[in-house]
Amino acid sequence: MSAVYRNAAPPLIPWFKEGFFDFWSTRVHPLWTLRRPLARLVARTQASADAVTLRLQPNRHFAGVLPGQHVNLGVEVAGRLATRSYSPTLLENGDLAITVKVIQGGKVSQHLACGASIGDVFSIGPGFGDMTLAANTQRLLLLAAGAGITPMRSLLRQLDAQAQLASVDLVYWVRSHDQLCFVEELQALAARHPGFGLQFAVTGDAQRPAPRVGTFDFSAVAGLATARVLACGPAGFVESARAHLEPLAASFEGEAFSLPALPDTEQGNVQVALLHSGRTLSIARGVPLLAALEAEGIQPASGCRMGLCNTCVCTKVSGITRHTLSGDHASEPSTPLKLCVNSASTDLTLEL
Amino acid sequence: MSSVRNRVLTPAQLQTFGEELDAVRARHQALLGEHDARYIRRIVAGVRWTGVAGRGLLFLGAFVHSVLVPAWIAGVLLLAFSKILENMELAHNVIHGQYDWMGDPHLQGKTYEWDIAGTSENWRKTHNFRHHTYTNVRGLDDDIGYGLLRIFPEQRWHPFFLVQPLVAVVFALLFEWGIAIQDLRVGRVLAGKITLRQLWRQAKPVRRKALQQIGKDYVFFPLLAGPFFLPVLLGNLAANVIRNVWTYVVIFCGHFTADAETFPKDCVRNETRGHWYMRQLRGSSNLTGGKWMDVMTGNLSHQIEHHFYPDIPANRYAAMAVEVKEICHRYGQHYNTGSMPKQFGQVMWRIVRHAFPSRPAPQRPLVATAAADVPQAPLATD
Repeated sequence: MSAVYRNAAPPLIPWFKEGFFDFWSTRVHPLWTLRRPLARLVARTQASADAVTLRLQPNRHFAGVLPGQHVNLGVEVAGRLATRSYSPTLLENGDLAITVKVIQGGKVSQHLACGASIGDVFSIGPGFGDMTLAANTQRLLLLAAGAGITPMRSLLRQLDAQAQLASVDLVYWVRSHDQLCFVEELQALAARHPGFGLQFAVTGDAQRPAPRVGTFDFSAVAGLATARVLACGPAGFVESARAHLEPLAASFEGEAFSLPALPDTEQGNVQVALLHSGRTLSIARGVPLLAALEAEGIQPASGCRMGLCNTCVCTKVSGITRHTLSGDHASEPSTPLKLCVNSASTDLTLEL
Repeated sequence: MSSVRNRVLTPAQLQTFGEELDAVRARHQALLGEHDARYIRRIVAGVRWTGVAGRGLLFLGAFVHSVLVPAWIAGVLLLAFSKILENMELAHNVIHGQYDWMGDPHLQGKTYEWDIAGTSENWRKTHNFRHHTYTNVRGLDDDIGYGLLRIFPEQRWHPFFLVQPLVAVVFALLFEWGIAIQDLRVGRVLAGKITLRQLWRQAKPVRRKALQQIGKDYVFFPLLAGPFFLPVLLGNLAANVIRNVWTYVVIFCGHFTADAETFPKDCVRNETRGHWYMRQLRGSSNLTGGKWMDVMTGNLSHQIEHHFYPDIPANRYAAMAVEVKEICHRYGQHYNTGSMPKQFGQVMWRIVRHAFPSRPAPQRPLVATAAADVPQAPLATD
């Protein structure tokens, strides 16, 4: 979901503005809005040495999320809405639990761990992602690294509720023991379901460091050849898991999260995906996006062509851009982008 | 008319002039954060609370007849204040995209719709694009006299302009409607370029917005008051007219003072950034008056800074003005500022003077063209 929100339907009374309604309704109750999905922080607990679990209460406009899916959470840090994806666990009363790994220098994770106060309100998008389970599942091998445990935890809770944990294995990688989250919960599951195989792989263990996923011995996993493998973690982890297991297992699905990395060069081409027209174009780095798109036959709305009139602004969903006048890079997802004075540095996704 | 003598800069000086002004932008852009977000949200709250209080006071007379007159007057003033604050400090600045960086869905330049007869969509085109890109360029910036007034001697005289002092007053009272139909370019019908029927069809979004505004201020709220219909209707009308006259005065002070210049079309061809800044500077004028003047004019009291940096949050202009003024002084460029009576007096004089035939003074160059006529004056260092 985009942070730059657009009205989905016309208002009931034309001049009765959503902003007007929300201003007064949120003064009565912080979660009461006309249509905007919001969630309120109701509790925060330490999940591990470097992770916190936030309990969020969504309002009735929240579209819902399936176990294993992610949602985009919009958090205001220093006046700016920053959007990050988290995989929530559904709690009994409809609340959501998200576990956030605190990253050194990560402004959103640090804000959620320390800055945000109980009662703060965030915007919350609908659930997305394909790593979900139908009721009738085959043999499963779940691979998680670091914060990648969060969708796996939701899936395991779903399977537990459906009493289908008999043929499931989970391998959970972390660097050190104090980074492990949900240890008691996972061990309790393993105790209750003899068929559920649980392995913690601590790569930085002083005595017996666990091998990384690329060299991990999966021979203990029964029926690997018929298993569906789901992996979640940093991009490097998911890639080596794919290389290692795709030939061995029945199917492989991965969800990777990683910080966008700046390219070494501003030359060459990148792929620009346009969500509204469904097209993907190859355009040159360093060329203002407006000119580059026009050269490909796309005609975005435009005006001054010097970054002033705001006519060509559109939402950049992901990717890094570079301001053609200042040379500054912008990597924040779901932010407005002026096409006329920005060029692509990495692959981009635009709402155009 | 103008007594201003700006130093003619060499292309190299113009280049550094532009770079220094760009650096002011970069410095302030880097500072954007919580402070600015809190400011604009305080303005939103101010608009909402004064709007409700103003409308509430207009209703009060219906139930408490003894306070009818004072409540009505206070209600009109509060509602006018709310509308001025919404139109100028909130809507005008938000529609420029000044607060897009916050990511707040209710403060996005592309989607914000304001409480005035004209549509935000037309405003984005006539104002954000045409007026701000081609400021005071004859034939490109429709805001020069709004096709109704002869403000500059460069505009061709016509006997119709003899009545323009009167037209100007009516235009002030109906300013929001003038803005509403600006982009329809009604003159095309008179010139026979399109038929009245075509104009009517093109005007559909304008008509819809106009009906919304009329429905709100002249039907819905008056009907809510039941038998007290008329005082509420008249109160809303008075508030709208006060807002119209105030915005008219502020906007006319921005580009039509004695020292403001207009430019020929070929001026914008291959214009450099320094050149563009220079044109904005010579076409704009500021208002003195302090903090309240800044808020009530939507920071158009810093018209020069607004034209240099239309997409930087307006609450930054007062601080930027200190640096901009210093740069202009150092480069020997006139920084046009004055009190509202002084500036608007000059505007009124222009409206009266150019109702009659007048001849333009020779155009002063923005930038030195031939090396020969450039006195290589050193830049002021004080």
